[in-house]
Amino acid sequence: MGPLIPNGIINGDWSFVIALLIGIAFGFLLEASGFSSSRNITGVFYGYNFVVLRVFFTAVIVAMVGLLYFDYFGWLDLSKIFILPTFLKPMLLGGVIMGLGFIIGGFCPGTSYTAIAIGKLDGLFFAIGLFIGIYIFALAFPLFKDFYYSDNMGHVTLTDVTGIPAPWFAAGFTVIALAAFWITMVIEKRVRKNFTEYKF
Amino acid sequence: MNRNYIFLTLLMLALALGTLFIKKEPALPETPPETLLPETLLWEIIQPTRYVSTDQVAKMIIQKDPSLEIVDVRSPKAFSRFTLPGAVNVPPDSLLSPSGSDYFGIPGIKVVFISDDGILADQMWVLAKRLGYKDLYVMKGGLNRWMETIIQPKEPGEGEPYTAFEKYEFRQGARLYFTGAKVKTTKATKTKVVVRRKKKATVASGGC
Repeated sequence: MGPLIPNGIINGDWSFVIALLIGIAFGFLLEASGFSSSRNITGVFYGYNFVVLRVFFTAVIVAMVGLLYFDYFGWLDLSKIFILPTFLKPMLLGGVIMGLGFIIGGFCPGTSYTAIAIGKLDGLFFAIGLFIGIYIFALAFPLFKDFYYSDNMGHVTLTDVTGIPAPWFAAGFTVIALAAFWITMVIEKRVRKNFTEYKF
Repeated sequence: MNRNYIFLTLLMLALALGTLFIKKEPALPETPPETLLPETLLWEIIQPTRYVSTDQVAKMIIQKDPSLEIVDVRSPKAFSRFTLPGAVNVPPDSLLSPSGSDYFGIPGIKVVFISDDGILADQMWVLAKRLGYKDLYVMKGGLNRWMETIIQPKEPGEGEPYTAFEKYEFRQGARLYFTGAKVKTTKATKTKVVVRRKKKATVASGGC
């Protein structure tokens, strides 16, 4: 059946409406998870708060395992899912730069807007710096345009590169993620004095 | 540790390990989006509406219906010997080639398959239907029935209904159209008209 829009079940004109609704839900959940606080975000780098790791790893393993089951049930055709092309070296450099910005500024682009939404000034300054960076990048783009498009590996997946089937990646990553959840809980209990365990 | 954390950990672990046992069947290569299900194809096969009679085809040819396209599925040798006017030759081995597939899928065009007895036309109909084409028909009985009905129509018996005579007259006209035969003038036997005059009875003249 899925994906819904390429298969004509949902009209393509609904794309922006659906994107808006998903964005609203995403922003709400980001704020509810504590991502509007720069201390929570940088805590994963300094080792005293691992909420970022837990939230995003949970999202990754649920989506990964869920997509495999959806494909098996016939609800979603994985071969029709768009995969972004991989430019290996530019992406590695971009990841390093993003990590630097993350730890220096305390936000990523999305979380800075959730911080602005609740009135935080550090998020506002981060967003201003974000646009200044975009402007500088656009002006200087001809200098590194060749590097930007270099090392194109195409629409490749880990399964294509390694030959290991996708379910093994899902199972392995889930085991690592679940282990990380328990380990980070132990670390937080030792490091933080006023640790309050979340109760359902 | 909280039992809810333990439960969620075990649940996620079970779901993740369950993906290892998913063995999805390999999909057919390049299955078209509008896949014709076997039951759908069987339902279409048993429909009588996919047949057209020789009378209908003859009528459309005489009226020069622009939406009619006759596809002769016999061999090129048989096609060159005899075929219907305006027919195109698409043998079975040309169905998938560009020269053959160009005749199908044209909007507004009704394709009528013809062969000698209708069997090969039926098979070609099934293949073209599976290829996803629409508006496909088969001339029932094929060219053999065409000969029996259009070229050499039989006069209905005296007990036949009026519609049979109407159809016979149409077929006679169609035969004239397709064969170019001339109308035989009926020689009416000249019967001499004999006029018999009744003799008037003579009225008695005079009075008493």
